[in-house]
Amino acid sequence: MSGADSLSTRFRPLVLQLQAALDANDDAAFRDAFDRLRGDMSADLMPELKRITVSAQCALARFRDRVRLDALAGQEVPDARKRLAHVVKLTDEAAHRTLDLVEQSGPLIDQTAREAAQLIEAWSAYGPRELALASLWPDRTLAFLERTLADADRVRDHLSQMLLAQGYQDITGQIIRGVISLVGELEDALGQLVALANGDDTRRMPALKEPAAAPDWRAGVGPQIPGLAAADAVSAQDDIDALLNSFASGG
Amino acid sequence: MSATMKILVVDDFSTMRRIVKNLLQELGYSDITEADDGNTALPLLKAGAFDFLITDWNMPGMPGLDLLKAVRADAKLGKMPVLMLTAEAKREQIIEAAQAGVSGYVIKPFTAVTLKEKIDKILASKAAA
Repeated sequence: MSGADSLSTRFRPLVLQLQAALDANDDAAFRDAFDRLRGDMSADLMPELKRITVSAQCALARFRDRVRLDALAGQEVPDARKRLAHVVKLTDEAAHRTLDLVEQSGPLIDQTAREAAQLIEAWSAYGPRELALASLWPDRTLAFLERTLADADRVRDHLSQMLLAQGYQDITGQIIRGVISLVGELEDALGQLVALANGDDTRRMPALKEPAAAPDWRAGVGPQIPGLAAADAVSAQDDIDALLNSFASGG
Repeated sequence: MSATMKILVVDDFSTMRRIVKNLLQELGYSDITEADDGNTALPLLKAGAFDFLITDWNMPGMPGLDLLKAVRADAKLGKMPVLMLTAEAKREQIIEAAQAGVSGYVIKPFTAVTLKEKIDKILASKAAA
């Protein structure tokens, strides 16, 4: 049976009764036929309405269970702001530390180069025999070599400190990785919220991810952040040494 | 043995591996190999006759704690000195590492002096054993 035939079979008798009641100006018969027509159409809609309601309730329940909106909005997003603020602080400190060391090294190199140039100039002007006879030459050369040795040590130390200052990238990298993971979870939650708000067919909504498990400290939880540090976190190498010593001595 | 010691440095951040490698070279160690997590480190250790392991904790794949346990469980590698160099600072983590047999534990950020002290201390303990 075609859709048109089905429509005709179901509704033609009622429409004819409506038409007849209109022609006869019969108010009671018209209302009766109209109520039956409305009831018939509502009966068609009810199963679909029920299906949509149940589907929406299920989607909301799933959403509440799986998407940790309370935790995300109340705790983890504010924490992420603190983590990123700490990243800014660490990168700022590392950049300034490196620039300080570059600025301290520059004059040492400049002075060595300047004195070397003066010695070369003197060497070129007088020649080695005349310079060797000049009483100032040995003292001046020795002083230059001693200063060069000391300055080379200082520059070497500055280079080591610059090397260590780059360690910020490891620490900040670990923090940013954690925030990237949080942003991914937020993106997923927002996508679900938008789909629910648009009344999308929940059967076609993308599958929700399982909620993120609590971080397992055995796999590593990353650097401690000032203001967010775990209650049992140790903060200095001395504390760790003391803890390991007490453990080694059975304390 | 110290100057010719063969060292494996394990960290998922290449910047940190370069930092540690440079510091070790400043201390006189030149035979240094790198790996980016426990899964790549373990086959190298089993094949490579290393004398010393320096490892991070928090790495994708196999974390440093699991690498430490795998080393201690291996008959050939079991007595190798293992220095943990990590930002992980929870008390229970340090205790767990100690129970798993870590030889030393250095918290990031660290100084060159601290790294040298811990390596020297581990080597002194090993020589005395």
